[in-house]
Amino acid sequence: MVLNYERINAYRIMWLFVFFDLPVGLKKQRKAAARFRKNLEADGFTMLQFSVYIRHCGSRESLDAHRRRVKHMLPEEGHVFMLAVTDKQFGLSDNFYQAPLNAKKYVAEKKTPPRPLQLEIF
Amino acid sequence: MLKQTIVISSPCRLSLRNSLMVIAVEDRQETTRPIVDIGIVIVESQRAVVTTPLLAALAEAGVVTVLCDARAMPAAVVSPIDANTTQALTRRYQYAATEPARKQAWRQVVEAKIRAQADALLATGHDPAPLTPYYQNVRSGDTDNREGLAARLYWRAMYGDGWIRDRYGLPPNAMLNYGYAVLRAAMARALLASGLDPALGIFHHNRNNAFPLADDMMEPFRPVVDVAVYRLHAAGCVELTPDVRRTLVGLLTADVIADGCRRPLTVAMTAATASLAKYFRAEVRKLTLPTMAFGNGT
Repeated sequence: MVLNYERINAYRIMWLFVFFDLPVGLKKQRKAAARFRKNLEADGFTMLQFSVYIRHCGSRESLDAHRRRVKHMLPEEGHVFMLAVTDKQFGLSDNFYQAPLNAKKYVAEKKTPPRPLQLEIF
Repeated sequence: MLKQTIVISSPCRLSLRNSLMVIAVEDRQETTRPIVDIGIVIVESQRAVVTTPLLAALAEAGVVTVLCDARAMPAAVVSPIDANTTQALTRRYQYAATEPARKQAWRQVVEAKIRAQADALLATGHDPAPLTPYYQNVRSGDTDNREGLAARLYWRAMYGDGWIRDRYGLPPNAMLNYGYAVLRAAMARALLASGLDPALGIFHHNRNNAFPLADDMMEPFRPVVDVAVYRLHAAGCVELTPDVRRTLVGLLTADVIADGCRRPLTVAMTAATASLAKYFRAEVRKLTLPTMAFGNGT
């Protein structure tokens, strides 16, 4: 039987980046920015860095669906830039993180975006 | 779309936050998964806590949540009541299906099942020829019980004369039970996603089960579990260890061939249920049922 946990090909899995710069001078701008971030999270994006959100998409169709969704949640003011890369290209990344020595909260060990598998066991 | 399967086997708290399933495992950093990406959640740990808002949100998104007992066997399933916008119409057709229509559908299901059993025998190194006359002439409604007769030959070929397929029987029956329970949950999900009611079967069987239609439609998929269990058994596995359960849950992404395309099992299930919905609406006459893509070893 062809049993493959990582069945989907690395050229078809996509990562969608959303980079944004939103004004936060006025109270309503801060509210709009907060709503945009909340909507991104609700759609499965995780924060890579401030103003940089990222989502793992299993297929090209999934990627297109999420791109459409982000377009629908755009705030009125500000700059939003979306970039999609294949899983292969994403694999060419380097990730460096060192928690600040004075950090009080428990901080995630590596800050790598989660790479969901077809089957995950917790 | 291919959805994720999540198995919870550690003590943890599962809750809902902003359309995300939050998984807070004891002593570990909490992690989240978007509910839209999930197909099935299996909760094995007897020390897992699942909040009500999460259960409701999962159900609303069409996710089937399986709750297991102390022996890690599926005991309950939380599934959506209303899963689909075209549901009302599809269900009306389903409830109005005539006896001949249901018997014809059952005929196709039984034929696909026996063919799959023949493939399974071949994949496990047995001779599939004895099953050929059984799938070649299945009657409408399977009135001469080809399914039962073929099954007897099938199990005898696989495990010998002294072994009986029985829920409470000798190993590897327990592994088969588990594998079938996983298939049933996945099939219930696929049925609901296609707008069908899993409580109304196409064939009148005496089943002690809440989802007779899931039982009916999963028949052609059972040999996928049979082959995996055969191989596990041959490798010496007798008990339902966590590793064995992982392997069986992983079958949901095993490849099958349906309608000329090779696709993961859960996707093939959705293709089958979608075709059944169309069948009830008299849009197609042939159900999209799978043939197995058995390789030479897992």
